Amino acid sequence: MAGVQTNRLDSGGLIDRSAPLNFRFDGKSFSGFQGDTLASALVANGVKLVGRSFKYHRPRGILTAGSEEPNALVELRTGARREPNTKATTAELYEGLEAASQNRWPSLRHDVMSVNQLFAPIFVAGFYYKTFMWPAKFWEAIYEPAIRRAAGLGRAAGVADPDHYDKAWAHCDVLIAGSGPAGLAAALAAGRSGARVILCEEDFTLGGRLLSDGGMIDGLPAAEWLVRTQAELAAMPDVRIMTRTTLFGVYDGGTYGALERVNDHLPSAPEHQVRQRLWRVVAKRCVVAAGALERPIVFAGNDTPGVMMASAMRTYVGRYAAVPAKRVALFTNNEDGWRTVETTLAAGLQIAAVIDARPDVSPAHRSLASKNGFTVLHGSVSGVDGGKDGVRKIAVSLTGGARAEVEADGLAVSGGWNPAVGLTSYHRGRPKWRDDIAAFVPDGAPPGMVAAGAANGDFGLGACLSQGFAAGAAAAHDTGHGGEAGTAPVADDEAFALTPLWHVAGKGKAFVDYQHDVTASDIELAQREGFESVEHLKRYTTLGMATDQGKTSNVAGLAIMAAVSGRSIPETGTTIYRPPYVPVAIGAFAGHHRDETFHATRLTPSHHWAAEQGAVFVDTGLWKRAQWYPRAGEKDWLESVTREVTAVRGGVGFCDVSTLGKIDVHGPDAGAFLDRVYINTFSNLAVGKARYGLMLREDGIVYDDGTTSRLAEDHYFLTTTTAKAGLVMQHLEFCRQVLFPELDVQLTSVSDQWAQFSIAGPKTRDLLKEIVDPAEDLSNEGFPFMAAREVALRGGIRARLFRISFSGEMAFEISVPARYGEAMARNLMLAGKQFGVTPYGTEALGVMRVEKGHIAGPELSGTTTAADLGLGKMMSTKKDFIGRVMAGREALVAPDRQVVVGIRPTDRARRLRSGAHIIPKGQTPGPGNDQGYVTSVCFSPTSDQWIGLALVEHGRERIGEIVHAHDPIRGEDYDVELCNPVFYDPDGGRQRG
Amino acid sequence: MAEFSWDIRSPLERALVSGAYGAPGDAGVALTEIRNFDLVQVMARRGKAAEMSKAAKGRFDVAAPETPKVARTADATLIWSGPDQFFVLSKGGKHGIGALGQAFAQSASLSDQSHARVLISVSGTKARAMLAKLSSIDLHPDVFAIGAAAATSMDHTSVTLWRSADRDGLAVFSVLVFATFAESLWHTMLDSAAEYGLAINHSEDL
Amino acid sequence: MRIVCPFCGERELGEFTYLGDAKPVRPAADAGEDAVYDYVYLRDNIAGMMSENWYHGGGCRAWLKVTRNTLTHEISAVEPAAGAGAAKVGA
Repeated sequence: MAGVQTNRLDSGGLIDRSAPLNFRFDGKSFSGFQGDTLASALVANGVKLVGRSFKYHRPRGILTAGSEEPNALVELRTGARREPNTKATTAELYEGLEAASQNRWPSLRHDVMSVNQLFAPIFVAGFYYKTFMWPAKFWEAIYEPAIRRAAGLGRAAGVADPDHYDKAWAHCDVLIAGSGPAGLAAALAAGRSGARVILCEEDFTLGGRLLSDGGMIDGLPAAEWLVRTQAELAAMPDVRIMTRTTLFGVYDGGTYGALERVNDHLPSAPEHQVRQRLWRVVAKRCVVAAGALERPIVFAGNDTPGVMMASAMRTYVGRYAAVPAKRVALFTNNEDGWRTVETTLAAGLQIAAVIDARPDVSPAHRSLASKNGFTVLHGSVSGVDGGKDGVRKIAVSLTGGARAEVEADGLAVSGGWNPAVGLTSYHRGRPKWRDDIAAFVPDGAPPGMVAAGAANGDFGLGACLSQGFAAGAAAAHDTGHGGEAGTAPVADDEAFALTPLWHVAGKGKAFVDYQHDVTASDIELAQREGFESVEHLKRYTTLGMATDQGKTSNVAGLAIMAAVSGRSIPETGTTIYRPPYVPVAIGAFAGHHRDETFHATRLTPSHHWAAEQGAVFVDTGLWKRAQWYPRAGEKDWLESVTREVTAVRGGVGFCDVSTLGKIDVHGPDAGAFLDRVYINTFSNLAVGKARYGLMLREDGIVYDDGTTSRLAEDHYFLTTTTAKAGLVMQHLEFCRQVLFPELDVQLTSVSDQWAQFSIAGPKTRDLLKEIVDPAEDLSNEGFPFMAAREVALRGGIRARLFRISFSGEMAFEISVPARYGEAMARNLMLAGKQFGVTPYGTEALGVMRVEKGHIAGPELSGTTTAADLGLGKMMSTKKDFIGRVMAGREALVAPDRQVVVGIRPTDRARRLRSGAHIIPKGQTPGPGNDQGYVTSVCFSPTSDQWIGLALVEHGRERIGEIVHAHDPIRGEDYDVELCNPVFYDPDGGRQRG
Repeated sequence: MAEFSWDIRSPLERALVSGAYGAPGDAGVALTEIRNFDLVQVMARRGKAAEMSKAAKGRFDVAAPETPKVARTADATLIWSGPDQFFVLSKGGKHGIGALGQAFAQSASLSDQSHARVLISVSGTKARAMLAKLSSIDLHPDVFAIGAAAATSMDHTSVTLWRSADRDGLAVFSVLVFATFAESLWHTMLDSAAEYGLAINHSEDL
Repeated sequence: MRIVCPFCGERELGEFTYLGDAKPVRPAADAGEDAVYDYVYLRDNIAGMMSENWYHGGGCRAWLKVTRNTLTHEISAVEPAAGAGAAKVGA
């Protein structure tokens, strides 16, 4: 059990003191309460030093109390769940939480790399660019690894993430970002009007600044109003409240990205639950009530632990009853900062002094000071004394030039507030400058979106409520909901009264971007070196490029650049805003799509039967296909595949070819339609016949091939390659709907309707006779090569039988309705038992097609013409078809085109490999004499050697020539003979027999 | 002579394990595969959409849906599947491809899809929450009422989705998915619904 | 981005596939090589309003003609292709 929480107030706050939680930070045990963040629990335990900075390894403390935190980044959890760069300020405390500080070695208090501070003068902006320019090869070998060791924040787990993530869609009329007063008022108005509302809040509880700052709304204390409002919203069935959910992106057409941290507040997600969920929200309207972020003032030592944003200070004290400092100084340039004084005093803490940069302070504040015995100094903080144990003393430059010192253990800083303009600017929006608050505010927003309250630059509680309410009511009205919204909640507006102050000159490092260690002098240097444009400034200094995206630093950086370059801040401008607003884990974007479920898979109708047979499967596109069927005792795949090929060539085998795309082409103009999409003619195909067809793209290059059969006068059955099935369907629909709408033709994918098997080998007919009804004539006369018709099978079902061959053997393809597919495989085994039937996979299929010289994917490469593939004669000259004209272009009919030939190594024992380049024999390989390449290879059991297909210049005229194969990837060089691509049964007697 | 048996096997036969799955307690989602149905795609020929509708009316006594909706009769469901086309879902061959040819001979092209799809019924208190992980379309009852249909995608897989009659006061969604994708989508459905608890079953009843 | 399919209603981008400029018309069979060359290769790439072919492949399989501002992704009109569904074209 950890000790007492030294810096916890006895009462107050929104923590549950009856629910203590133990946690460890850097191995040390502490306790906190339910309702704490890791940061508030560390504050409550008096921990000030929480990390080391990126570049200089400077000691850093907690700066903010929200998702803008640049300093308090920790490694959260351990082992496979270790997550670097997690903000302690948003990590909810849970029992057993383990966190470790980052970027230090051997320990946070004694960090070796803090010597970098001594070399600080060389680590300025552009240092890497200037120093590690040359020699180039040193970069990867030496500079980068060294820099990565020294810099970089946190360590990734290094092993697979064990958690589950998912993605979901949500739809609403009105999406609201933020649950502060503006967001809640918007939800009330829209919900009461009857609109469907989604309200996203990144915190784990609703209320926004109300949780820290309180106030009176409709005559009630804010806390009571919150309870009442939440109850009213909860009773509306179409209002969905999503806490722990950050709206991080705005996309086209009213689509928004949100990340819900479903179970980040637990040690691990309960069984069956996800860690995080990525939401795509489709909303007709969006009200951005994302509030504003308080901004630091840049002064020397402003990164000392104990220097904290004024609003964060009062959040820790007010919301968490945790005491960041017991004697607090405040440095402010605006009225809002003074609220920290009130909260601090109310908690019984001491105010050391208020340093107010403005010319004057209100009488009320003066009397507050005198009543509570602290001084008000007119001036600025110019330095901070204190190291890793935190602030001790504060140096003040008084207006008029004098100096003062204030002893304090904490310094609250308020430089004003920046509206959160990210969401409104994600469509390349450029926010506009508002002088009265010295801040950028949204200037328009993506369609359907509006900002309200502090996000719009109106910070008063009353303004937030009335603007939010009006925006919610208008959004509901715009989406057709006219219910009675009632009246807006009412509250007073606080004074803001700011005098801009960005940077206090002084000795020592003054940080602008804490997370990337960018100082005021880095910005000045960038300006001197000509990087004045904000986009250049950003990239040269890395200002705003850390995981916090410059939430606390960007505007101050721009202001300093404006000052040194003699321009105004609006003239200096902002960089482009891009999502995500907070870092989103890749796991959340991936969701379900990882490992085995990376993409959807398709299974053939005989898949489970093949699995039972011990098939090895290969991923081909989305499909799992049986690649070969190993048998006991076979030493490798080649032995199995060779057995399968030999069995088919010598007997009979079958293969599930259901993966081919299958399309029903119906209608009176079906034949005319096919004539236009294929290079050859189909309108004259007789019913009951099949024909091989080749399609071109409109540019004359081959697109796809396959066999198409005519089953009836107005019904063709078209097949595509496995790879192009979906694309060919899309292409044919384009032809039908866009190019040739006058043709009466209908297309339906029937790929999944039919289980289709290729049965091949000299004993195919014997096998078929066993399974096909004896009344069917399967003789060569009754069922000749390229015939196609329906037949009855024994046992009562009907099948489609096609006499087509890819293997060069006597072969049929047989189709049955897909749910009979598994029975078909079993029955083929039964029918073929006496003939030694052998199931074969895609490898054997590939071997036989190479032996037969058939083209496939490697030859249909998107660069070849019909003539290149030896199919030029198929091109009809009597009709128009897609690709006809462009196929006649000079370059596509050039005599030196690379065309398909066969190759065999002169050394019969040599293995061939695809991709080797073809070079004339005796020449040194180079781009000048590269004449083609090897497309497909296999070990041919029939030839008893490796053979292949290649695309070679003038190939057909060079049959018999010995050329050189050069394979620089594998370092192989050997000679091959160019030969006829049809290695097996060149006159086709076997497939016609 | 060998004896051939032609067992019909659903693509989900192995993946579907009847019973409870996922989080214990009352199942938030019920997944039921409906097996052995007849499904015919009816597509109007050019300029024959009206004739096709008339033929449908004559055959089924209801108008074929011309917008994304379903039309039910005592023994068939007509489901919109795209412009000028619909599915006929039925059982027992009465409205199978063989039986419909005559009625649509002049007006439409028919394609048998009985084996090309798997039909999954999704219901339960968390059905919508689970489907929100798979479907990008809005299934709020005001938007997707009983009888609404959609040709859409789930997990990058084309599906036909419609809302059947409520059961026990709860919405029932029907999903027709391509048969070769079915096992993959089924596993995605189990993953998506596991946190709500599942009751898994199969049935022969449409 | 979301596209309002004239048949299905508003759907997310993932259901659609983009093809390109919908303006060029495939030349008649006797138009000659220059006309086909123009059709295949000389395509405009407009920064602004463009008429585009989109395929609702993840939905009703209709080809659509979408008028879209390529700078803002704003879609101002969506119509079915001439031959979508059973539409009768010409006599």
